[in-house]
Amino acid sequence: MQKAIALHKARLGMVSAQAPLISNLDAWLNVALIRQYHENLPRDRARREVLASLDRFGMGAIADRRISSLEDQERFCIMLLRAAMVKRAVLVIDRPFQIMPDLQDARYVGRSLKWIDDLYEECHIFDYVWMKDHYGALHGEEH
Amino acid sequence: MAQILKTLGNPFVKNVLSAQETLAFAGVVISKVFSRRSYNSATKMVLVNQIYFTAVEILPLFITVSIIFGSLLIGIVFAVIKDLGLAEYLGSILMGFVVTELAPFITVLLIALRSSSAIDAEIAVMKVNQELNTLSLFNIDVLDYLFVPRIVNGMVSVVLLSCLFSILVLGSGMLFSFFIFGMGLDTYGNTLLNSTKFSDIVIMLLKCMTFGFFITLIPIRFGLRASHELTSIPVAVLNGMVKVFIAIVIIEVLSLILRFI
Repeated sequence: MQKAIALHKARLGMVSAQAPLISNLDAWLNVALIRQYHENLPRDRARREVLASLDRFGMGAIADRRISSLEDQERFCIMLLRAAMVKRAVLVIDRPFQIMPDLQDARYVGRSLKWIDDLYEECHIFDYVWMKDHYGALHGEEH
Repeated sequence: MAQILKTLGNPFVKNVLSAQETLAFAGVVISKVFSRRSYNSATKMVLVNQIYFTAVEILPLFITVSIIFGSLLIGIVFAVIKDLGLAEYLGSILMGFVVTELAPFITVLLIALRSSSAIDAEIAVMKVNQELNTLSLFNIDVLDYLFVPRIVNGMVSVVLLSCLFSILVLGSGMLFSFFIFGMGLDTYGNTLLNSTKFSDIVIMLLKCMTFGFFITLIPIRFGLRASHELTSIPVAVLNGMVKVFIAIVIIEVLSLILRFI
């Protein structure tokens, strides 16, 4: 994984428990931050775009919530969207089951990636070898 | 003897090195503050929020303290001036004491108590939670995004609140001058204007900006010193706040020396 991070540093969109959401920002601000900082996107436009992308997950209602009040899956979606906001993003998802410990398999990860597949160029998922069985469903969905 | 020197020397060398590091960090931050590239939509938003938290939310407390403390003090000053027969120096005393000395000092104490401790804890929590790591993974410069807005906010807030303190205290001085000296509004205003020196205003503004710079820079530096353990947060806040108060005293003393040279 370190290799992938170093290789794609400029376009890296990291989704990891080790890269947590910024706790003093609302959910939408965590996502908007990337384009506001790197592309100087005005606040109102950034908010509209984030709300539109949250609607893809049916999560528009969580936009103004604080990070501490989010469920695991909502937190994962915010992390994923934040990563996808990087220009020509290379998503690196590090042990998704650490972010969503209650998940049975990786189908939710696959579905989430499909909802935003126009927002990133590549996606790499890293996990322990012994977690391989959890990803069977993901292969079935061609991810 | 060697042991005594060693005991005294170690903390001294440590403090000198720490001060040197802080000044080096201050140099880097100053270059960022004046760089246009540091300002984008995200940093501007942080700056506006910080000014709101520091200079606007504090207003009810600040105005109450300014009116109560300022009026009491100005009442005492006026009574002493009357007793000593120094009425002709009223303007100079008010401008020299209230505007250039009292206003920045009271303001910086209130802001340091409220905002410096908050900034120290916030940065320490972000360090412990690995949120600073998140920012660097997304190629976001923490100096631009976190530090520059907080430091600019410190400078702006101390200047604005010091001016507000001066206006409130000089306003209450107007009432006291009427009751104690029977002085009208015109006479009081003229006395103040005649005693206003451009150099006093410049010194006051520079002092406020220096105060604002260091009471935000030092908490940031000490917040960054937190480790990845929760228990390091109170230690970072404690050490940072002690250094903030030392910095306030040093700046105050230096400004007094500069004024009377």
